[in-house]
Amino acid sequence: MLRLDGLVKEFGAKRAVDSVSMIVPPGQFVGVIGQSGAGKSTLLRAINRLSDPTQGSIWCNDTDVMALKGRGLRQWRARCAMIFQQFNLAGRLDVLTNVLMGRAFHAPVWRSVAKLWTAEEKAMGLSALESLDIARLAGQRADTLSGGQQQRVAIARALIQEPEIILADEPVASLDPRNTRVVMDALLHINKHFGITVMCNLHSLDLARKYCDRLVGLAGGQLVFDGVPAALTDHVARDLYGLEASDVVDADQRPVLVLGGAQGLAVANP
Amino acid sequence: MMNRGQIDVAALRGRHPHHFVGLQREQRMLALVAAALIALLLLGMAYLDFFDAKTLRGITKLGEVAILMLPPDPGSWAHFQLYFWALIETISIALLGTLTAAVLALPLGLLAARNVTASRFLRFLTRRSLDTIRSIDILVWALIWISVVGLGPFAGVLAFATSDIGSFGKLFAEAIEAADRKPVEGIVSTGGGKLLGVRFGILPEVFPVLASQLLYYFESNTRWASVLGVVGAGGIGLQLGEAIRVLELQQASFIILMILIAVALIDVISNRLRFALIGRRVQTA
Amino acid sequence: MSSPIVQLPEAQLRPLLAGYNATVRSRRWHTLLIFVAVVVAMGLSSIAAEVSLPTFVDKIGNFTGYIGRLFHLDSGRGVWTDPVEWYWGLGRWLRLLGETLVMAYVGTALGVIGAFFLSFLAATNVTPNRWLSVVVRRFCEFCRTVPGLVFALMFVIAFGLGPMAGVLAVAIHTLGTLVKLFSEVVENIDPKPVEGVSSTGAAWHVAMRFGALPQVLSGFVSYTLLRFEINVRESAVLGFVGAGGIGMDLFEAIRKFYYSDVSAILVMIVITVALIDSATSLIRHRLLGLMDGHR
Repeated sequence: MLRLDGLVKEFGAKRAVDSVSMIVPPGQFVGVIGQSGAGKSTLLRAINRLSDPTQGSIWCNDTDVMALKGRGLRQWRARCAMIFQQFNLAGRLDVLTNVLMGRAFHAPVWRSVAKLWTAEEKAMGLSALESLDIARLAGQRADTLSGGQQQRVAIARALIQEPEIILADEPVASLDPRNTRVVMDALLHINKHFGITVMCNLHSLDLARKYCDRLVGLAGGQLVFDGVPAALTDHVARDLYGLEASDVVDADQRPVLVLGGAQGLAVANP
Repeated sequence: MMNRGQIDVAALRGRHPHHFVGLQREQRMLALVAAALIALLLLGMAYLDFFDAKTLRGITKLGEVAILMLPPDPGSWAHFQLYFWALIETISIALLGTLTAAVLALPLGLLAARNVTASRFLRFLTRRSLDTIRSIDILVWALIWISVVGLGPFAGVLAFATSDIGSFGKLFAEAIEAADRKPVEGIVSTGGGKLLGVRFGILPEVFPVLASQLLYYFESNTRWASVLGVVGAGGIGLQLGEAIRVLELQQASFIILMILIAVALIDVISNRLRFALIGRRVQTA
Repeated sequence: MSSPIVQLPEAQLRPLLAGYNATVRSRRWHTLLIFVAVVVAMGLSSIAAEVSLPTFVDKIGNFTGYIGRLFHLDSGRGVWTDPVEWYWGLGRWLRLLGETLVMAYVGTALGVIGAFFLSFLAATNVTPNRWLSVVVRRFCEFCRTVPGLVFALMFVIAFGLGPMAGVLAVAIHTLGTLVKLFSEVVENIDPKPVEGVSSTGAAWHVAMRFGALPQVLSGFVSYTLLRFEINVRESAVLGFVGAGGIGMDLFEAIRKFYYSDVSAILVMIVITVALIDSATSLIRHRLLGLMDGHR
């Protein structure tokens, strides 16, 4: 069980995350929604401690995450895998090496540095890749793959961490609709079959409603909505995305995602 | 057609004062700076005795020298062989010196890079040391190494190895700082340490950049290596300096020609290598 | 919670692993080949360059000793204990350092003036004549490839010992480098303003002045300042072949083992170079900001 208590992250004078408290029971698929700049990414990065929160506490079962450092911190990162919008793979390395980075915490450093993976590790990596249908690409350089394939490599990397939590930061924002489905289905499968908690930042409310057990809405860094997808009425969504939503549509012709409902409320897709 | 007289400059100026003032001030500034620079140039030239009958005589003499250099001619077969092996020695000095410097500079580049070394003090110290090494010319290093290991090409190799550490360290640090931080973040987020982040997130990305810089330096170092001999640090510069000093100008121009050909060859080869290293990748990166 | 990795059956895993290993192996062979080639090249070079590790190990002590002696006066005390004694030749060295800076400035300025005009002739997109462009390029390649010190040696014959030879060497080398860089800047301009001015019936030099010049000026200034930094360094050693500046005294001091003089002059050069570097980078940022601001 993951518990956030009064989490604050400041960048200079700006509060990107403003006293967020929540409890995430194991096995939940949580969607984090809100405008861009609402603090969604910052929240996820703070949980993995890629960037340290300014105040507040994070507890996972009996672990005080904020107190961790050194090896303990790296162990925590191994327990909560991250998936990024831009995949964050090492482009010039082959796919399997990228995936095996997921064992970085478990394997001794000298062995990793020399790329001396054991047969079990390789088997693990290939199995993870095969479960996402891309094991045949194992020897290719990561930057020769399409965006959807790269994101699947990143998921395989997360899988072989054998994590308790997967934090997915806009995993489908750079992907086309078909790959969006492949990636979201994969996350859902991992969540439902293996009981791994998933916290996923999403832009599209349609996706959020379709995949998540629970939605958390952020606005200006504050938690303004927390409930099941059904509770997210168009009225609430309009509050969440602010009045600009309709303005943005009028102001320019950027592609927009139409929000469900006859009102035609729309959200700009930056 | 409009007559010039019809344009009421005063009225225009009244309506758009910023157009006139801004332009005038900027132009006046530029003119002032240009005048100052030219005045400084003339003063400098006067200080260095440019406006002197000696200059004219020198130019005539230079013409004579140029004519005496033609056609390039090694003099004898034995001379040609001597020059040829000296040229090989020159290229060897450049190659060894450049590679040694690059190997030594890599850890220093990492130490000086913001995204690898957290300690501000350590970075500052490394950068200042690299700057100091860089601001001392290769010829000075050559003379110092001659005092240590004696006359000869080995001193030249050591001179390049020390002198280029400064340039390479700085260039490498910049390349490393320019590397995408996303792959490193990906590795750190899985629980990998800093070492793995550098090894897998940064080094593979910057390696082609470093290699191509190394090839550039190899080419320009070959040029430099051909003058190290003038101060006694091996290579063809010894013969070149000697030929000029005893006014064997046809031999001198032959040596210069050999150097030009060698540099052109190395340029072609290093361009090929550079292409093989990063050519195919450049479009997608 | 169970592990999310469902291990593949051996039969399925083996071909995948074999395929991956084969790819990696061929890549490793490739890397090994390059590595061996480099090592062989280094081995051959070290024979040609008379590299001798025993000498190096034997003499490395001399190097540290040498560096140590640089910072000791004849009396054996550290140079910092008696700055007056250390810098006994301050007046003369300052004058020579000034001469070095003047050499660098005049050499850079002459080279820049030449390069400014030649670069428009050399740039393939605006050159008035293709053959002229080729000739200019070849000439500049020559000026660039022959080391400045070689020019200095030649000029010393023609003009005698003294800064004149050095200035011309700096100028000609600057010309060679800057024409290449400048003409690349010119080749990257947006052709529309040039066409706009030309279409009014303006002559070539007018089209260049109003169509091309505003676009290239900041690039030119930037490269000029960078070149000036390099030229300061170079001018400091031209004295080694008698072409003026502080290099003459430095050369003599090193040759005659006047250790504390060597360190005194080197410290002066290092500080001067550092000051010039920071000054030019300041000017570069100011100027570029100014030019962008008024565009």
